Amino acid sequence: MAKIKQTKKREAFIPTGSMSDIAFLLLLFFMVSTVFVQEKKFWVERDRWPVAQSIERIPRNNTTTIYVMKNETILLDDVPTKIESEEDVMIANALRSKKSENPEIVVCFRTDRETKYGAMSDVMRQLQNAETLVVAFEAQKRQ
Amino acid sequence: MKVGRKRKGKAEIPTSSMSDIAFLLIIFFMATTKFDVKEGIKLVLPAAAPESAQQAETIQLGDDKMTRLQITADGSIAINKDGARKIDNAELDSIIQQKLRVNDQMIFKVITDREAQYNEMIRVVDRLKAQKAEKISLSTN
Repeated sequence: MAKIKQTKKREAFIPTGSMSDIAFLLLLFFMVSTVFVQEKKFWVERDRWPVAQSIERIPRNNTTTIYVMKNETILLDDVPTKIESEEDVMIANALRSKKSENPEIVVCFRTDRETKYGAMSDVMRQLQNAETLVVAFEAQKRQ
Repeated sequence: MKVGRKRKGKAEIPTSSMSDIAFLLIIFFMATTKFDVKEGIKLVLPAAAPESAQQAETIQLGDDKMTRLQITADGSIAINKDGARKIDNAELDSIIQQKLRVNDQMIFKVITDREAQYNEMIRVVDRLKAQKAEKISLSTN
């Protein structure tokens, strides 16, 4: 009678020796990509932003932020200013130099929702003079 | 006399919990990482007219090509030649849809009073964007 050979079952195992290497690689990735946001002295809190539905995501590396506070103080590069007249071209000049450094620049407005539109209109006129025409109005996503 | 030789114990650093520590750190960084993006309503402003273009060509646009949305200081909205009144989001949506049905390339000119709240302008622009209006112009009086 023929002898039936019993097949030997191999033990299955998952190698876990390199698990910590993988974990440390992931750890390094998150450590490098993390940016801790620094709070500034002049700040328009997120809950003061307007609420909107059709918002887009804008990569931060091409943006510059202009803060417009309720008292119409305008903040660009941490320098507070107010636009008193049309001859006041400080913001336009600052934006012109930013535009020459990065032609793709997007100007983001972080404005208190109760600000009077006049202040925004004055800033936008300066943007047009500086030919920085792509703007984004920061808003909270409507739930 | 027999001198007993001391057995040297092997020095070892336990590494079996290393991956646990690493995963805990990963979870911390995953939870605290905020990818560097901003969120907002994007618009392209029209270029300023050069001073030499004083005698720029003026084009008359009828109601079938352009809709004027005039926001007053108290947040009321006047559409074209109609009187200003409070319009909620749902009604604004239906008005915009109606205008886009007439002409899908309709230009919406949002004229905001200097004393009006910024929030009101954003509300109108947001509704226009939500209804896929492509030609939006901002202005003030």
